[in-house]
Amino acid sequence: MAECAPYDVLIVGGGPAGQAAALRLHGAGLKIGVVDEQPRPGGQILRQPPATFVAADWMEERSYRPLKRQLGRFEAAPDVEWLGGSSVLGIEPGSAPGVHGLTVATPEGATGIRTRRLLVATGCYDMPLPLAGWTLPGLFTTGGLQAFVKSQGFVPGQRIVLVGTHPLQLLVARQVLQAGGRVERVVFVQPRSALLRPFLRRAGGGLVGGNALLAAARAWRDLGAAGTKVAFGLKPVRVAGEQHVSGLVLARSDGTEEHLECDAVGLCFGFLPQSDLPRMAGLAMERQGRLRAFSARHDEWMESDVAGIFVAGETTGVAGADAACVKGALAGLGMLHSLGRISEPSARKEAAPLRRRLARLLAFADLLDRVADPSGCYPEVDDQTILCRCEDVTYGSVRAALGTCGSANAVKLLTRCGMGPCQGRNCEFSLLRLMHGPSRCEDAGFTVRFPVRPVPIGDLTG
Amino acid sequence: MDRFDALIIGGGLLGCATAFHLASIGASVLLVEQGELNSGASGQNAGSLHFQMERRFLENGDALADQAAAIVALNRSAIEEWRTLEALLGCDLHVSMRGGLMVAETPEELLLLERKAALEARYGLDARIVDGAEARALCPSLSTTVIAASYLPEEGHADPRAVTPAFARAAAARGAILRPRTSLVGVEREAKGFTVELDSAEGREKIRAGSLLLAAGACTGNLAALVNVHLPVYPVALLMSATERTGREIAQLIQHVGHRLSMKRAHAGNILIGGGWPSRLASAAGGGFDLSRRATVIADSLVQNLRLAVRTVPLVRELNLIRSWTGVTAITADQLPLAGAVPQVPGLFVAAGGSAFTLGPTLARLLAGAMGGRPDDRLAFLSPARFNHLNSFMG
Ligand SMILES: Cc1cc2nc3c(=O)[nH]c(=O)nc-3n(C[C@H](O)[C@H](O)[C@H](O)COP(=O)(O)OP(=O)(O)OC[C@H]3O[C@@H](n4cnc5c(N)ncnc54)[C@H](O)[C@@H]3O)c2cc1C
Ligand SMILES: Cc1cc2nc3c(=O)[nH]c(=O)nc-3n(C[C@H](O)[C@H](O)[C@H](O)COP(=O)(O)OP(=O)(O)OC[C@H]3O[C@@H](n4cnc5c(N)ncnc54)[C@H](O)[C@@H]3O)c2cc1C
Repeated sequence: MAECAPYDVLIVGGGPAGQAAALRLHGAGLKIGVVDEQPRPGGQILRQPPATFVAADWMEERSYRPLKRQLGRFEAAPDVEWLGGSSVLGIEPGSAPGVHGLTVATPEGATGIRTRRLLVATGCYDMPLPLAGWTLPGLFTTGGLQAFVKSQGFVPGQRIVLVGTHPLQLLVARQVLQAGGRVERVVFVQPRSALLRPFLRRAGGGLVGGNALLAAARAWRDLGAAGTKVAFGLKPVRVAGEQHVSGLVLARSDGTEEHLECDAVGLCFGFLPQSDLPRMAGLAMERQGRLRAFSARHDEWMESDVAGIFVAGETTGVAGADAACVKGALAGLGMLHSLGRISEPSARKEAAPLRRRLARLLAFADLLDRVADPSGCYPEVDDQTILCRCEDVTYGSVRAALGTCGSANAVKLLTRCGMGPCQGRNCEFSLLRLMHGPSRCEDAGFTVRFPVRPVPIGDLTG
Repeated sequence: MDRFDALIIGGGLLGCATAFHLASIGASVLLVEQGELNSGASGQNAGSLHFQMERRFLENGDALADQAAAIVALNRSAIEEWRTLEALLGCDLHVSMRGGLMVAETPEELLLLERKAALEARYGLDARIVDGAEARALCPSLSTTVIAASYLPEEGHADPRAVTPAFARAAAARGAILRPRTSLVGVEREAKGFTVELDSAEGREKIRAGSLLLAAGACTGNLAALVNVHLPVYPVALLMSATERTGREIAQLIQHVGHRLSMKRAHAGNILIGGGWPSRLASAAGGGFDLSRRATVIADSLVQNLRLAVRTVPLVRELNLIRSWTGVTAITADQLPLAGAVPQVPGLFVAAGGSAFTLGPTLARLLAGAMGGRPDDRLAFLSPARFNHLNSFMG
């Protein structure tokens, strides 16, 4: 593995948070790199089509304009080196005094990178949700569905049903329509009042996040105009199909079932912070939001408990793109300060309005978190349902193991749940929920091991 | 206060298997494990059943190699043990005994193989030296750089995830009590046996035991302080890696006589790569090692280990690495296991160190006999008495 001179700042993640940090740092004469597994910057929300793929106006939603402007400035910054198409496989904190080491899989093979300051801004991912039939082809997370649409303008189904608790599914449904797909129905598991009332109650008090709300409202209106029904209070029971999704069975509150025919299902029950790199690096973690998901703990400058390693964006809690930008900017400022490039009073002065804005954004995020809270909305799962899809481990065998095992790691060892290539990203949350219920669970989860993404051995050995 | 014939500290393979054998001969047994059963080395290891002499015994001069060769006699017993273990415990342990090849790539390594074979022959084990072509006929995935190998048809591997839990279940079925999430925190010696203090979520509690077995893996050396003796058992952190599953066949256990390498295709289809490359133990603030914290991967160890794997079995080059992990096991001052009664403290026994996945079931059976009053000569050379000089002023 080749090594090059250390960076002053290395940022993992070229989404809104990573960009904002880089933009705050650039121009200060620092050596800055941004690593992202996507070939082009943008992150989840502005996932760009490949440069070779012409897609005029790949996203025209008004609410994305400020983010697009930031992206433009980021791409134009001459002193920010873009290391696209490269996955960070592992972090070794303090690999040398004052330096952190990373192992990165680049298109040319694996390489070691060293940096004086590290920012982990790796975003979040869709919460995977096991239910009967969820391993059939044609079943997506809504984010996965959206990724198809955003990066390829391609709709993976003729008749799509979206189901979940998160309002984001309205936006995704509309994007599917715009890409020429047909959405049979958007189903919210919670009653209509649970979705709307908290927003209406807040509307009087001058709302931050108003943009997002407007976008959702417009999407809802457009869906109506296109003949897509938005339904409430139906719980998914199972995905039907032999070789491929052919329908979705929903339960009404009176216990009767409704069978919807469709060839693709998108599940949208919320997002989990990407916590693998922080956990591997041994950063102190905390539980965030109503999902009690793992997120990295940090101080007011977004610095973790390991000196020199900073965290920002949705890795520190799911709160939307605007909050990710502010956290990124704060982290940029924090690193500038810790590298001695800005005095403490100046940094504080600059941070004050950012922090005020962040507090408002986080209040809105909390509201969204409440509205989208899936507790009580999870499908019932029987013993035959697969919990870990990499290793084909069923709920039945995990339930049996819980008779003797007192930790996620012990369950993993006994059942192979979480032992596959995804390292538990798809099953850990469901396992912890099964073990304790999300609110009480203090289990530390699976030990995160190198590499956080599978990597061809030949890439590591050169 | 509850009283047991035997109290076992440590829910790894040695502890659980000894509990099983003691319970089988009618003893009342309590086993306590500070974490989860099988959460130590017994659940983290490579699962190799290696009955040839290990290369680590060859790399530190003739005197140590000669002394260590005595282990070969025990390895032979272990072959029989593993042949019958699934039947004994009544479950599938994914035991695969389809041969082992310890390969050589240079003339010097071939000499080492021959020296090893001569030592083994003294103890009645005949691994056959085959040339490169025959080695590849046995295992077509081997690289063309292999010029020879010593082949033992009985070697193989088993599933570390399954073996210790199976012993634990069988022990419980015979009346042993196994308590996870309970640790030993204090020991008082009495005229006949011990009063020990245990700590768990339910609080502290004292129980009495006729005999006490320390089978606490890497922690054994530290625990010995509770009874005021020295046991020269040290923690070592090792590295293991797993590839994605593959359909490519590797029937044998593959080892290298000149380098640290062990490889096998485990029953699920993943290729496990290890062989004794170091990881980094966490150090404690006041000095010494902090065994409560996870050991970390040393990047250079990983690359070297994988390079050797690619060199020996080139097909792994194309496979994805899905996980590398660290595991902490115990090593003794002379690398041989420590198994038997501690002379300075009547009623105290220890079982730690060595390649105690391969040897664990055998050591446990013999040790249970000794604890039940029927010491076995085959354990004599592993007796803690060989370190009596460390305990001249202890006890
Ligand atoms: C699938 C999905 C779709 C979403 N769609 C929308 C939407 O349409 N509208 C909306 O308002 N919000 C959406 N969100 C929420 C949105 O992600 C956030 O609001 C915002 O993008 C978060 O910014 P961020 O910078 O924290 O993370 P992200 O934008 O997610 O950026 C993180 C970046 O880190 C990279 N990365 C992660 N791990 C590694 C690694 N190991 N090595 C290298 N790079 C790595 C990723 O490739 C990614 O580009 C979506 C979230 C997800 C998961
Ligand atoms: C990575 C790796 C690969 C290996 N590969 C092989 C191989 O291929 N073949 C082979 O033969 N051997 C191998 N070994 C060695 C083998 O795993 C060990 O020798 C064997 O598992 C030891 O079993 P044990 O029961 O003595 O220890 P352990 O399994 O470590 O069990 C000791 C237990 O004691 C508990 N404990 C400690 N202190 C206390 C306390 N105060 N109170 C209560 N409980 C306590 C611990 O939590 C632990 O669970 C390998 C080891 C490692 C780490």
